[in-house]
Amino acid sequence: MATLLWLQAGACSGNTISLLQAEEPTVIDLLTDFGVELLWHPSLGPELGEAVHKILDDLVSGAKPLDIFVVEGTVVQGPNGSGRMDMFAGRPMTEWITDLTSVASIVVGVGDCAAYGGLPTVAPNPSESTGLQFHREVKGGYLGKDWVSKAGLPVINIPGCPAHPDWISQIVMAVATGRAGDLTLDEYHRPSTLFTTFTHNGCTRNGFFEYKQSTTEFGQGTRTGCLFYELGCRGPMTHSSCNRILWNRQSSKTRAGHPCLGCTEPQFPFDDLMPGTIFKTQKVSGVIPRDLPTGADHLTYLAAAAAARISAPQWSKEDMFVV
Amino acid sequence: MTVTDSKTIDLEVSPLGRVEGDLDLRVKINDGVVTEAWTEALMFRGFEIILRGKDPQAGLIMTPRICGICGGSHLYKACFAIDTAWKTVLPPNAITVRNIAQACETLQSIPRWFYALFAIDLVNKKYAKAKDYDEAMRRFAPFVGESYEPGVVLGAKPVEVYAIFGGQWPHSSFMIPGGVMCAPTLTDITRSIAILDYWRQEWLENRFLGCSIERYRQVQTWEQLLEWCDENESQHKSDLAFFIRYAMGIGLDKYGGGYGNYLAMGTFFEPSQYATPTADGRNRALITRAGVYSDGTDLPFDHMRVTEDVTHSYFRGTGSLHPWEGVTEPIDPADGRAQDKYTWAKAPRYDVPGQGFVPLEVGPFARQMVAGNPEREVWQDYDPLIRDIYSKIGPSIFLRVLARLHEAPKYYEMTRRWIDQIDLHDRFYIKPVERESGKGFGATEAARGALADWIVLEDNKIANYQVITPTAWNIGPKDGKGANGPMEESFIGAPVEDLHDPIELGHVARSFDSCIVCTVHAYDGKTGEEMARFKVNGMM
Repeated sequence: MATLLWLQAGACSGNTISLLQAEEPTVIDLLTDFGVELLWHPSLGPELGEAVHKILDDLVSGAKPLDIFVVEGTVVQGPNGSGRMDMFAGRPMTEWITDLTSVASIVVGVGDCAAYGGLPTVAPNPSESTGLQFHREVKGGYLGKDWVSKAGLPVINIPGCPAHPDWISQIVMAVATGRAGDLTLDEYHRPSTLFTTFTHNGCTRNGFFEYKQSTTEFGQGTRTGCLFYELGCRGPMTHSSCNRILWNRQSSKTRAGHPCLGCTEPQFPFDDLMPGTIFKTQKVSGVIPRDLPTGADHLTYLAAAAAARISAPQWSKEDMFVV
Repeated sequence: MTVTDSKTIDLEVSPLGRVEGDLDLRVKINDGVVTEAWTEALMFRGFEIILRGKDPQAGLIMTPRICGICGGSHLYKACFAIDTAWKTVLPPNAITVRNIAQACETLQSIPRWFYALFAIDLVNKKYAKAKDYDEAMRRFAPFVGESYEPGVVLGAKPVEVYAIFGGQWPHSSFMIPGGVMCAPTLTDITRSIAILDYWRQEWLENRFLGCSIERYRQVQTWEQLLEWCDENESQHKSDLAFFIRYAMGIGLDKYGGGYGNYLAMGTFFEPSQYATPTADGRNRALITRAGVYSDGTDLPFDHMRVTEDVTHSYFRGTGSLHPWEGVTEPIDPADGRAQDKYTWAKAPRYDVPGQGFVPLEVGPFARQMVAGNPEREVWQDYDPLIRDIYSKIGPSIFLRVLARLHEAPKYYEMTRRWIDQIDLHDRFYIKPVERESGKGFGATEAARGALADWIVLEDNKIANYQVITPTAWNIGPKDGKGANGPMEESFIGAPVEDLHDPIELGHVARSFDSCIVCTVHAYDGKTGEEMARFKVNGMM
């Protein structure tokens, strides 16, 4: 039985709510059937008040072991480093995080905010927020770049805004069933098993991507084409399994005509939402996408694009996702 | 806990809310009854400040992430705010799909809120000797209750329909000025119908109502509702009838009513009436209506009468401003305390003609009170039930919860009808002109109440962005005149039987859906030292 504590710092609850959509296992099965002893969770834990304080005190003192500490939400350090912009049970949440990360065997940052700081860190970052072990793509964050948990692991990040329910439940199960050793983490501390493929993999628009055929507008326009060229889709540069496993068992952003926002990458939101950057592909020299599919460069991209356009078959210029 | 005279006790409840940041509560208790209350929101992220200077559409990405629970509602109103600022034209399909998505988010929220957040308190040990306590345990006990698991797990179904149109739930940004991103196909429609039908049968009718939606929707008065409860065995055994019996039995109809004054901003638009969205044309185009019900009078809603007061909030100043002029300048809570400020929530107020700026309750209760106003357009919802019950037994925790539950069959019917109205061969988007300046107003009804954005655009970027959430309306603090926020007012008169386990305060707070967990600290008034910590919810 692995003990698990889940706390919310500067959070919107989106990752908790996302987890409620999980099947195989459902969140309730995860907690009742799969060897996870949920010590407390702000939305689900029936134990409250005195019992919660006792749990926290016992964990901090070492009287009870904390196997998995899950943090959701950005680490709010304002104002002026005091942490008073996010109080929890009478103390700045930063103090709880310091105490609990020092006793936990494994620390998991769920969602973009806990992992990298997330949206609250966009300039001017009025709450002085940061991630557990990264500030956006820069290693460090609240705990510092060299921090490791009692089990010798850095913070395991499950990014996404929100994280997909399966990413959370499968990684928690892996850790709870003693397979933490099988986890390989990438440079941003994401489990490679989930974050090596691209959002692009499994996207229904790949045929259009291949022949450089663009979706030109939203709505009925998304019955054809790829969202990468004009509408700002980051699918070819974003690591996630969204299109391999789908959302809510039904669809994905890109399948529904919604450009990928790149929310599993530490730079999210890209370009800090500055004017002219939303749902619009950023270009150089007016025509070439500024950000190219991972591994491509502008010169070879241009050559490949020219060849692809010439060879584009007729179907790639017609509607495919028809009534 | 501080004893200030022989009878008065100050009680601090911390934390009390966990949905949009933490919430603490301080109450003064006199002779076992709450006489004064202060609600304190404890978390600040500063989204309105971040939005300044950003892309006009930044709110579509940013505001859904204010709250992971009603992100779809944030998207809905953020999009209409830009629609009004850019003066877009919306094809009927775009409005219909937005309506469906907003309604599906609310449908998933109703059972999840009821079972996971509210009903688990019904098995508190305080009621161990109440009639039907064992039955309440069997249904509502957390994780293992016979109704708890299906209510929480099946809640995933309505938002599967959201994902079919929006790609995913939570946190999609698929509504955009001019329409929606998607262009559904025939099988998207048939699949949506099948998913909704499954949820209707498995939860809404079989477990929750014990009858068809059509039968339940015939109920129009308090007497008819009580009759419906015992009409046959299946209805008698339903979760809804059981809740009505049990809640009345344990006295939830006796306190927690608050001011009895309400605001709804309305939501869901009749497509033919809102092709060119404007703030002025909004009220008339709504399907579930906007309105103010104050001191027994119905008044039209006018967003220009909304202000936010920061006298007791951790923001600079003491003023009261319309959101288009609104400012968000945070100060250190330590300094704020010295200025008699006690929360990160601002205090929204509404200028009721003849009454001045007053606090108004928002939420399903408010919506259903406004729905009882007989004057309406033909496409607008008219529903007399909750207003009828209000006139007969008055506002309370019970009626606030009942209003929320009452919306499930009602919104299901609407959603199902809208799916049939989608014309797959028509447009879902009309590319708008991106105007470099303008002012916009967008609003909706999140599951828990009125939610609105005010946006000012200058030079192709956001010059000002203000969001007023339902939680701010309800849990906001006292204003410059000393008037309580609506939830603060609702605590007044609440009995507290056991200071070590003030479950009654939990019921009040949770009936507003802004609270998940409560912890109680009691302090020694002389030394300021914490004497003990008590749990509000003692059933486990």
